[in-house]
This record gives sequence, C-alpha cells and structure tokens, in this order.
Amino acid sequence: MTLKECYEKMEANYEEVIGRLRSERLVQKFALKFLDDPSYRLLITSMEEKNYEEAFRAAHTIKGVCQNLGFTRLGRSSSALTEALRGGWSQEADSLLEQTKADYQSTVTPLQALRDSQQ
Amino acid sequence: MEAADHAKEVLSLIMNKPGQNPRILVADDSEMNRAILEEMLGGEYDILEAENGAEAVEMIRLHETELSLVLLDIVMPVKDGFGVLDEMNRNRWIEEIPVIMISAETNPDNIERAYELGVTDFISRPFDALIVHRRVVNTILLYAKQKKLINLVTDQIYEKEQSSSLMIDILSHIVEFRNGESGLHVRHVNLLTAMFLRHLTQHTEEYRFSRSEISLISTASALHDIGKIAIDEKILNKPGRLTTEEFEIMKTHSAIGAQMLQDLPIHQEEPLVKVAYEICRWHHERYDGRGYPDGLKGDEIPITAQIVALADVYDALTSERVYKPAFSHEKAVEMILNGECGTFNPLLMDSLRGLAGSIQEELLGDNLVRANQREMRNIAEELLRHKELTAAERTLQLLEHERMKYSFFASLTKEIQFEYTVAPAIVTLSAWGAKRLGLPDVIMDPLHSAEARALLSEEDWKGLSEALRHTTPEDPDLTYDCLIHYSDEPRWARIVARSTWSPEEPPEYTGVIGKAMDIHDSRLRLRKLEQMASHDPLTGLLNHSAAQEQIRARMEDAPERKYALAILDLDHFKAANDTFGHHFGDRVLSFLSDKIRQGIRSGDIAARVGGDEFLIFLEYKQELEPVIQRIYSSLRGEYKGFRLSVSMGISTSEDAGMDYDTLFRTADSALYTVKRGGRGAYRFYNHTMERAFSVITPIENKASEEESENDAKGML
Repeated sequence: MTLKECYEKMEANYEEVIGRLRSERLVQKFALKFLDDPSYRLLITSMEEKNYEEAFRAAHTIKGVCQNLGFTRLGRSSSALTEALRGGWSQEADSLLEQTKADYQSTVTPLQALRDSQQ
Repeated sequence: MEAADHAKEVLSLIMNKPGQNPRILVADDSEMNRAILEEMLGGEYDILEAENGAEAVEMIRLHETELSLVLLDIVMPVKDGFGVLDEMNRNRWIEEIPVIMISAETNPDNIERAYELGVTDFISRPFDALIVHRRVVNTILLYAKQKKLINLVTDQIYEKEQSSSLMIDILSHIVEFRNGESGLHVRHVNLLTAMFLRHLTQHTEEYRFSRSEISLISTASALHDIGKIAIDEKILNKPGRLTTEEFEIMKTHSAIGAQMLQDLPIHQEEPLVKVAYEICRWHHERYDGRGYPDGLKGDEIPITAQIVALADVYDALTSERVYKPAFSHEKAVEMILNGECGTFNPLLMDSLRGLAGSIQEELLGDNLVRANQREMRNIAEELLRHKELTAAERTLQLLEHERMKYSFFASLTKEIQFEYTVAPAIVTLSAWGAKRLGLPDVIMDPLHSAEARALLSEEDWKGLSEALRHTTPEDPDLTYDCLIHYSDEPRWARIVARSTWSPEEPPEYTGVIGKAMDIHDSRLRLRKLEQMASHDPLTGLLNHSAAQEQIRARMEDAPERKYALAILDLDHFKAANDTFGHHFGDRVLSFLSDKIRQGIRSGDIAARVGGDEFLIFLEYKQELEPVIQRIYSSLRGEYKGFRLSVSMGISTSEDAGMDYDTLFRTADSALYTVKRGGRGAYRFYNHTMERAFSVITPIENKASEEESENDAKGML
C-alpha cells in the first residue's frame, strides 16, 4: 500500500499535503505518527469525565494535526467539535463527538494498513 | 539547501557564534506538531521544546539570551499562548525575542490579540513548510540585524566626537555596499532632493522651505533605503526579475527602515529623525495610492517622501543596475513625465520640467563636492542647534563677552559705528554714534528717513553709494571723506566701511559695517599747513613754487587755450626800503599785492615770486593788450607819499609755447628790456629780446642795484 492509496482511503487530500510539506517521506513519517498521538484518547476520556475544557484542547489539537497532515475528513468533524466545545459543553457536542469517532476510525484503519504493509 | 546554508552562515556571523546554530523554542502541546516543526527546522537550528505554556515560560527564563525565536501555539494546557505572551511582555522579553504564532485558530479576534501582544508573525495551520522556513529565517535575520543596527546607531549618537553625518555616511554606505550600487546614489538623491525643494519654494505658493529645512530634508534623504539592511543580499542583488514572494520581501524595506528609526532609543524628537522616518516609510508610496506600505494617496504622502521618491526613480533610471543599463538623462525625464515610472504630484512634474535643463550639470563636477561640504556644515550646524545645548550656551556667552568688549572700545574711540543690513533695511548705530548724530540707535528704512538723509549732502550720498557699488566680496573695503551735517555744525568725517556678502554662490550683497571718524580738526590743520606751504606769508599771495605748480597744471589741462604770463616789479623799491626801512617796504609790498588781487580776474593766478617781483598768469581769448592795459593801470597809485611805479614784461603761450620755464624766461626778458628802457611801462616779449639778461639773474641784480640807487637819488 502506498501513501497515496492510504490517503485515498482516508478521504484525505494527498496532492495538497505533498504540495505544502514538499516531501513524501516527511508526510508518511508524520501520518504514521498520528497512530501514536495521544490526543484522541485524551478527547474520549475528557468527554467521559465531562472535562470539557480539556476536551476542547484535545479536539483543537486533533484539528490542527489533521489540517497539517491533510486529513480532510477527520479535520472537518474535529473542527466542528472544537467549536462546539469552545464555550464548554453544548448540545451539538455529543453528536459531533460521535461523528469524530467514526471519522477517526476511518482515518486510522488505512494508516494501520499502511504501517503493516511497510513492516 | 543552498539558501539555508547561506542563511546559516549569515546568522552565525551576526550572532558572533560561529558553528553554533541559533536556538528556537517550539511551544506546542501536540508532540506531532513539535515533531513536524523540528523536522523542518532542525537542520539549521537547535530546537527546544515545551509542551505547555508554563513550560514555555520556564524555558524562556532559562535560555533568554540564547533564544533567537519562539514558535508559539495558542491553545495549550496549563497556560495558553496568550498567557505566555503576557509573561513575555511583563518581563520585557518580547522586546528581545521575536515570536511567531502558529495556530489552527482562525478567529480574527484572537489573531488581532496576538499581534497586540507583540508577535512578529502569525502562521495559520495548515502551514506550508517553505513559508514557515522563510518566515523563521526572515524574522531571525531581521531581529538580529535590527539589534545590531540599533546598537550601531546608539553608539554613533552617543559618540560625542562623531557627527550625525558620519552616522548617515556609514548607514547609507552599508546599504549601498550591500546593494552593489556606486556611492553616488545617496549623494545624487540628496542633491536632487535639495534641487526640488528649492524649485518648489521658488515656484509654488504651497511649499516654502527655509535653507535649513532644505538641508535637513536632503540630509535625511540619505537614509531612505536603510531598511534594505534587513533584506537578503540574494534578493537585493538578484540580476533577474524578482519573484512575487521576493518582491514582497523587498517591499518590506520601507517599513523596516521606518521601524528602525522609531526603535532608536533616543532622539525620537529630533527633526532629522522625524523627517527621515517619513522618507523611509513613504518613499515608495504613489500619488495615485498604488504604492506601499500604506497605500497613501495624493498629499497624504508627506512632500518630503514624494520628492525623495522622484529623486530615487530618476537616479535609478540614469544609473546602471544589475538588472538594467543606464538611461540617458533625456530618456529618464521623458519616461517619468510620461508616467512610465509611477504617478507623481503634478507640482513635482512641473519642477522636473523646470529643472530638466540643469539637473545633469548639478550632478556633475564641482557642485557635487561643494554641496557635500555644505551639507556637512549644515549637519554640524543642525547638531549644534539641537544637540549640543551646552556648546550653544557657551557660544552665547562668548558672543555676549565680545559684544561687551566691542561696545566698551566703541565708547572710548568717539567714533560713529554703524551696521546696515539690506533685508530688512535697518541701520544700527553705536550708542555714542546715535547720541552724537541725535538719532535713535536703530533706524528702520534709513534710505527714506529724512533725518538720516540730511546728514550728508545729496552729492555725498551719491558718492558714497558709488564707492559702495565698487566693492566686491574680494575687495569689500572703502574709504570716503565727507562733511557730516550735525545739528550744530558741519564737520569733516572719514567713513571707513566694509560691505558684507552672503556665504552662498554667487555671493549676494547683504549690507555694510563701518565707522565714521571725525577728521575735522586734523583736516583744518592740514588745510592750514597746505595754505602756509603754498602762500607768501607777507602778502597772502601764492608763493612761486605753488603758482608754478598751478600754472603747469592749468596749461596741461587745457593746452588748446591761450595764456599770458606777466612778470612785474616795483620800480625804485630798493631805495624806498633803504630810505624808509624794511617795515615801510613790507607795507608797500602788501599795498601793491592788494592792488594786484583787486586788478585780476577770479580765474587768474597771482603770486609773489620773491622780493618786489610778482607774477600774474591769465587766460585770454581775443585781444590780450586791453586786458594787460587794464591790469597795468590798476596797479598805479601812491602809498604814504611813495608813488607806485611798476615795470612789466609779458610773454604769451602763442609766442613761447606751452612750457612754463620758457614762458617765465621770455616774460623775464621782456621785463628786463622795460627796465633798461626806462621803467614805468609794460612790454610784450619778442624775438629781439632773446639775448636780454634776466632781471632775476645775479648780473641783472647788479644792474638793477645800480639802477635802484639812481632811482632813489632821482626820487629824492
């Protein structure tokens, strides 16, 4: 599996990220690092513990990383969640969290497949 | 990467730490984000990491002086990016360490707040690797250079011995050196700026600049490109066309230059700094509002910056650059007037048309050097006026002392000292002089003051102005003797004066300083001496040598006229002298000389030659004989029983020529002939008398003595 194929599976914008970061090696390195990023876990636990301030920061971080790596789909939902949590909990937050969870899964599955194919 | 190597090299030079990379602190709670940035910058910089705001503050505290840049996220746990900026402001680190904010934040309020807290730049996610790299490099270079430059400028200003011209020289040469331009650009812009300022002053109602303002502004013009010091040399000297991004960087130089001046820790209030700020910031604005950095339009752009912009464009066109050959003067003027090089104030276009004929000449040759020296002097003056207050005070004290000395000596000399200035037309008199003349110390418009005009005769006013008109800056002194009409009496004065001239080329007549000395008494004494030297004390007639001088002068002045010389003596005088005593003889001579004085006309000359001999010199037109006849008759008479009998010999210039000696000798011969012929008559000289002896020669004297004896006997 190539990085490009992986991005297609993630519904992410491969051309855009290569244009910005200029290096396939770099993009692949950081894309794979996303699998180890603790932000998603932090978001889930913070939401469970109703620590919405922490949840906001976690969502914000996910949004930022997604933007940098060109993970368009996850970026869209995490961005919406970030706004929903900016002033603390809001009605949309719970449903947006579910959307984010779904998008996260559809993002990490191809990434895991990529990592497996590299080893 | 070549550019990166270059930047690294420049940086290590600037940081004076060869081999060591500048340090960047990356504060971001996402390890991923930190890793991405480290990956992008790690080769050229040492990266320190902080995963929240509190850690970031701690790192800055620890590494303050070593940090070249902070890359700061906004949303972080414990303390967010704004909290870090607050700390940096509180500790004034923000003044030393540039901060670039990198955030996924798109809320404009947050971005604005970040700028207000002093961040240099804001990069939003997703970021472009090249943009991050470029902005990091630029920010570090800019800060490092600015820091160095501020130190340089500060040092220069604090160096008392160094004038600001040296500072300007150094700065403009640094810029030019980096620009690869010849050293002439700054000088040309300076000269052109001054030319336009002068032209506007002379030809427009809107703008009036004093000489010192012109010098100030043209001096400040030298700093127009100092911001280029922060521009990468690769861009600055790129032979080809700049890319859009490079041009954007290039364009920052005007704002950077202005910022540098604003960052000067002192002298913010200096007019030079203020004008230089205007010029630096706005010399790339365009009259139609399409310039940078602020897009000012029309007269929103300070006229100083408008002028420097035009000067800059003209000199750029006429100079060779890495990207273009030099255009001719005519071509450059044509291009500017056609609007091919930007839009300018129509007034400035008029000035360009007006100056087109003289610009080239001004920029070449001696003018350059002279103007430069003038500029140096002006800067020095500017410095003295604005900075060296203590020096100015000392100068004032010296001046006051000089004034005191001057008025003390003036009061001792009893001279009328005066100073006249053309504009405004004022005469200032020394205290004693004003009192003596009965005039106020200061006379406004003296040429139209009746009291002042009455002091000298119209003729003397004319003579004096004539003498003044003949002075030059090289030979400014004059001396003029005339009568001053004081309220009580007229007295002779000698006016010694010096005309004053302006320092510029060509010099202009600005006034006169001088004094009037009273020479009345000495002049009268001299007159008396002259009188005594030229007149016979007994009779009051001229003596022979004075008469001789006057006669020669008269004949020389008008040789075309006819003159006659008569020599006469008193018959039987020796006998009278011997018989009645010398006193009686003297009184007879006085009596005769009175008769001579009355008998001649006012233009004739009469003199006592010696003893009882006299001469009369006269001019005649037609018949001479009737004139002689009348004079001769008038000399008859009697003094206390002594009957006057006169013998007279006459010679004319028609016979003897225009030569005094010949005239005298021939008249003398004629007199001798009369004496020998029986006295009591006059005769005109003719050639038969040529061999006759002179009455005045010793031989004649002997003969005359014999005769005199006989005469006396005969009389008794």
